[in-house]
Amino acid sequence: MSAVTTPSAMPYSAGSRGFSEGLGLKGWGMLLLAPYVALFALFVVYPVLYGFWLGSNPAIYTQLFEDPAFWTAYTNTMVFLLVAVNLKFVLAMMLSGFFVVQRPWIQVMLVIFILPWAMPSIPTILSFRFMLNSEWGVINSEYFRWTFQDGPGWLNRPDLAFTWSIIVHIWKSLPFWTLILITGRLAISQDLYEAASVDGASRWQQFRHITWPSLATLYISSTMLSMIWTLGDFNSVYLLTGGGPGDKTHVLATLGVRYLRIDQLELGIAAIITALPLIVPMVWYMVKRLSRGPGE
Amino acid sequence: MRVLRRLAAGVAAAATMLGVAAAPAQSQETLTVWFTKGFYAGEDQALERVVQRFQQQTGVRVELSLPSTEDCVTRSVAAVEARTPPDVGFCTTYDFRTTGRWAFEGRLEDLTPIINPIKDRFQDAALATTFLARRDGQKAYYAMPIQQQFMHFNYWKDLLEQSGATEADIPKGWDAFWNFWCDRVQNGLRQRGQRINGIGHPMGIAASDTFYSFLTWANAYNVQIVDANGNLVLDQPANKANMIKAVETYAQIFTRGCTPSSSINWLDPDNNVAFHNKQIVATHNATISIAAKWLDDSNNANLTAEQRAQAKTNYEQLVRTIPWPNKPDGTALPTRAAVKTAVVFADGKNKKRGLEFLAFMTQEENLAPFVEGSVGRWFPVTKAGVNSPFWQADDHRKAVKAQYEAGTVPFEFVYNFRFTAVNAENVWARAVQRVAQDRIAPAQAVDEMIARIRQLIAP
Amino acid sequence: MKRFTSEAGLILIAIPILFWTLFPIWHLFVLSISTQQQMLEGRLFPSDPTLRNYYLVFTQGHYYLSLFWQQMWNSFFIAAMTGIITLLIATFAAFAISQLQARGGRMIMNFALATYLIPAAFLAVPMYKTMGIYGFLNSQWSLIMAMVALASPYAIWVLKQASDKLPAELREAAIIDGATVPQLFRLIYLPLMMPSLVAIGIYALLLAWNEYLYAFLLLANERQVPMAVALGTFLGADDSPWNIMMATGFIYALPPVAIYYTFRKYMVSGLTAGAVKS
Repeated sequence: MSAVTTPSAMPYSAGSRGFSEGLGLKGWGMLLLAPYVALFALFVVYPVLYGFWLGSNPAIYTQLFEDPAFWTAYTNTMVFLLVAVNLKFVLAMMLSGFFVVQRPWIQVMLVIFILPWAMPSIPTILSFRFMLNSEWGVINSEYFRWTFQDGPGWLNRPDLAFTWSIIVHIWKSLPFWTLILITGRLAISQDLYEAASVDGASRWQQFRHITWPSLATLYISSTMLSMIWTLGDFNSVYLLTGGGPGDKTHVLATLGVRYLRIDQLELGIAAIITALPLIVPMVWYMVKRLSRGPGE
Repeated sequence: MRVLRRLAAGVAAAATMLGVAAAPAQSQETLTVWFTKGFYAGEDQALERVVQRFQQQTGVRVELSLPSTEDCVTRSVAAVEARTPPDVGFCTTYDFRTTGRWAFEGRLEDLTPIINPIKDRFQDAALATTFLARRDGQKAYYAMPIQQQFMHFNYWKDLLEQSGATEADIPKGWDAFWNFWCDRVQNGLRQRGQRINGIGHPMGIAASDTFYSFLTWANAYNVQIVDANGNLVLDQPANKANMIKAVETYAQIFTRGCTPSSSINWLDPDNNVAFHNKQIVATHNATISIAAKWLDDSNNANLTAEQRAQAKTNYEQLVRTIPWPNKPDGTALPTRAAVKTAVVFADGKNKKRGLEFLAFMTQEENLAPFVEGSVGRWFPVTKAGVNSPFWQADDHRKAVKAQYEAGTVPFEFVYNFRFTAVNAENVWARAVQRVAQDRIAPAQAVDEMIARIRQLIAP
Repeated sequence: MKRFTSEAGLILIAIPILFWTLFPIWHLFVLSISTQQQMLEGRLFPSDPTLRNYYLVFTQGHYYLSLFWQQMWNSFFIAAMTGIITLLIATFAAFAISQLQARGGRMIMNFALATYLIPAAFLAVPMYKTMGIYGFLNSQWSLIMAMVALASPYAIWVLKQASDKLPAELREAAIIDGATVPQLFRLIYLPLMMPSLVAIGIYALLLAWNEYLYAFLLLANERQVPMAVALGTFLGADDSPWNIMMATGFIYALPPVAIYYTFRKYMVSGLTAGAVKS
């Protein structure tokens, strides 16, 4: 995006009448920040410190690493992050190219396309779950009607079940990221494309030399942000497969909740803490990136 | 960073102040009680009546909340960790998951003072399961038996007959019994073009049904897992060899295609669901919830008259409850009993009234309607409860009572609470799945099982 | 746009996209209008559609739905409160950081951002413990405050981004005219920020409406829990009345969809513009 913004350097003169009255600039600033600072301290800092304290016993990590489900979950998480997120972004990139076509019906379609994102996940993911049931789901029932054979156990084989978790995840979050990339694409000047067309550039060349350079930064930050969030997405796995069969489709977020459910609170915290080496660098990078003022 | 330090320091102060501010001005004494939401309206109504009478008698306001089965235990665990538990807790999975551990860790109030005076009213076997050890080795009654469950076998009489067999054909011998459902019944139905499996065989790791069924299966093969002192004896050669057979045969029901392929992922309700929808002819299930559902439906005002009539026929004629077959060695297989326990939490705010409430709740006239409100799903733990006409009222209940009278055996976690973790992780189901799905040798799966159990029960 | 391919080509792309988007939703709807028997036959179209499930939901006719209206109201209340409080806190903070350049604002922004990025599942259990200490447990305010804490970092950040883009001239003019800080906030800042405020309010509202994990951890009493938790209880049912659950789920999904579409213009411009910048 090439949004032109005004740097927010404030030309307040010390003598300006309104601002020197009452609390003064500094006082107002403190006062207005106070609610958030209080909220942050009470409901973020304290719980986080407490979480670390709960997960600070080294013995718990030995226990965690002994659990075969942990390593499965760790691998799954990596696959989820790398495959699901990248696949999602390639799709989002292509779809955004489709949705920027200026046709009224395509704009109507865009409205429909947002639905998976706008709907709460519980009912929609449960709909997937029912659809994929190997005995009474619609897919295998139709399959039986045509072939008189039982179809594949979509959620009964770990590989298929995990693939479906990825598909559900993409289904749910694809619209949001497509929307972001559409916004990015719309910010590219049309003149560039017109000039390129005149020069006889192919569509691939246009993408390669105009679209991609303009979108690259947005694309990469979005991908990274999405990876961080995907790490915390337990709905797609939890509501679809519950981590099964055989605890083989867990990711770290669901494993944490699984431990909580089997009365192993500390293991749950520890499982989530082991994800920190993955996310802290990304969070660090993103915070630095995102907090940079637009003018800097 | 200085700001951060100041923040952190301020938090503690603010938290204390907030805690004080948020503590309500106590106008009336309250008692917080969490009970698992009943499966049937009758249970909740019976409980609410008890609560009301207790409130009238004592003037204490009872804050009753009824979370669903899974939420109940999860929330209790979190509350105990946070040292903010209710005063009284009763979740139907405490015994499987938490009671023994909580007692060991000193999270529970000693109930001996309220249990001793009424000791004789309880069945010995049921009461024995609540005599639990603390960390220092001292034993006491840390939990109150409320109700219990056994393992049964249910089948559809009409489906059985459609397959060309009759009830009289059902064998009593172990192998013959399972082969009957697997081969004769399932094939009979498949030949008639029906997409039905002979057995609903719980295999899911997240289901307590699976370990209940599997451990019963292991009993049939005479596997002893722990001794009376809670020491692991599964690794002794005879036990291990029997366990290998148990794992192998349990997995075979799946690999032979006698159970729906989704049973590898089943949660607790799923075998019931498959059964009700006639996708399986038979299933083994802890409690007679399968039959009870039809009884409940036959009285459900929201169903049409036709549906109610069908439900009544199902309960009275079509759904059958029988015990498991004899062991492979030809002797009778006693059922495992799981005694559901209520507790008073050591960190509760009103423990005194909590004890009073539990004592009140377990008076026969209060407990019986609660247990019987579950229309047979839960079996009484008192001697008087067993003799209630309720358990003579129909064939399902008579079958349950007969199983009770034939004698019951407890779970391993009664001897060693650390087995709650073994069950929670469902090491058993994992071994079965290793064989059924990963196709490893049963002996290897059992080696893995024993290695994992050792890790889990290490002090 | 580009001189693009034929309409036919576009339609060829459109069909799979529509199918992909709508099929699971269609399936959800089909289940919700099926009888138990029909549902298990796995049909693409129910041969005997019924509105009975919806009737049961609205009349609280199923055992698991005996508090349906109460729980819907709880969802509304919790979501609305989360929206309002998040807006208040975040707007003040963004105004202070961006317009008043309050001290430490930059650092607070960074902390807020980091909170936002850390998965909420990590905080769930510690948050529970914290609420216990504060004596908030089993009050809807515990859930509301937890949701505000989760929603406000993003809210502040989006609002700050938007604030930074306000034309400085207006502000300068106001200052020269002798406006006080409250006047600047009320008369200049709020009106200019309105689209972003609407977007953020709705963002927080939807976040709270959709939340499950925190809701079931923090609230014990079934009269207090929101609809999401009530939906979860169906999963424990022995006879799995999925058709009734799906009818409930469909109703539960309507308000967020309606809100989203009503304010779509704001949402897209407010959220996406602020979400990721290049």
